[in-house]
Amino acid sequence: MSAQPAPLKSAPAAEVDMDAHDPAAWKEGFAAGAPTLFGIGAWGLVVGIAMVKAGLTVPQCLGMTLLVFAGSAQLASLPLIVANAPVWVVFATALVVNLRFVIFSALLAPHFAHLPWKKRFGLGYISGDMTVALFLQRYPSTEAVAGKLSYLKALMYPNWAAWQVGSIAGILLGAAVPPQWGLGFAGTLAIICITVPLVANPAVLAGVIVASGVAVAAFGLPYKLGLLAAVLAGMVTAMVVEETMEKLTSKAAP
Amino acid sequence: MSDLEIWAVVGALCVATAAARSSLWLVGHRISIPKRVQEMLRFAPACALAAIIAPDMLMDGTGHLQTSLANPRLLAGIAAVVFYLLRKNMLQTIVFGMLVFTGLRLALGG
Repeated sequence: MSAQPAPLKSAPAAEVDMDAHDPAAWKEGFAAGAPTLFGIGAWGLVVGIAMVKAGLTVPQCLGMTLLVFAGSAQLASLPLIVANAPVWVVFATALVVNLRFVIFSALLAPHFAHLPWKKRFGLGYISGDMTVALFLQRYPSTEAVAGKLSYLKALMYPNWAAWQVGSIAGILLGAAVPPQWGLGFAGTLAIICITVPLVANPAVLAGVIVASGVAVAAFGLPYKLGLLAAVLAGMVTAMVVEETMEKLTSKAAP
Repeated sequence: MSDLEIWAVVGALCVATAAARSSLWLVGHRISIPKRVQEMLRFAPACALAAIIAPDMLMDGTGHLQTSLANPRLLAGIAAVVFYLLRKNMLQTIVFGMLVFTGLRLALGG
């Protein structure tokens, strides 16, 4: 957040348009993102199947995947839909699951602060985990460089398309597979795959264990409030563990 | 849920996604996030995701704790965590987890 983009008025008058389409940067971005597209499509497939298996109709599934475009938030909403939780609980849950994107957008947004707000809104809305990571590997600093926008778009648009193709295939496939196969469990497995890399230190691990325990213990609470209680308990635990560990290390080091 | 409620959920998910992904693109260059808030942002998603899958793996359909070896979801979930730690590959983990889950489900007659 500390890195500020250079104000536009200080740029030389004869400056080229940094945001013009740059075929070389586009090609480079596409090549960087291409290896991830298959995985993104497969992840979309799993979410598509899970939506159908949660009892959504095909138009509802298509609407959700095309409008929302947030796999983990969609997966998180499904058990709540099945349990008939109130809409505000689904909203709160999706917001919490999406919080990691606040960090990502804090890293990415300064690169494009000069764009009109509608463009910034759109770019933010379709930025996934993978695109942010790949973009920041290529452009670690926020200074204005020609081709940046093309590179970002070449990461984002194929990523969006791969996700939607996989997701729609999953919706159509999910409707054709008998429910006793338990394909909805693939959604749980997918969440495991997003959660494990987030557990980067003992503080998060403690938070995850406490959150799991509270979620099970408070499962019977009305309106799925056990879920929100679990998140809160897990977060507080993680913060306490982290601060305790920081105190211990600062005492150990002179 | 009724059809209308599902679409209300879709709308709520859109707003939640826009709030998380786009809000800092709109105002981010004018504010800075305090350290404490950054910590919370870092911890919250892992806790929320764990809280969502824990009941699915540890409880049966009637809301009772199932920690026995006859629970295919728990065993397949643990197997998937171990597999992911070893291979770091999402797609392979999902396929592997589904194979374990299906094998156990058929073996246990579920």
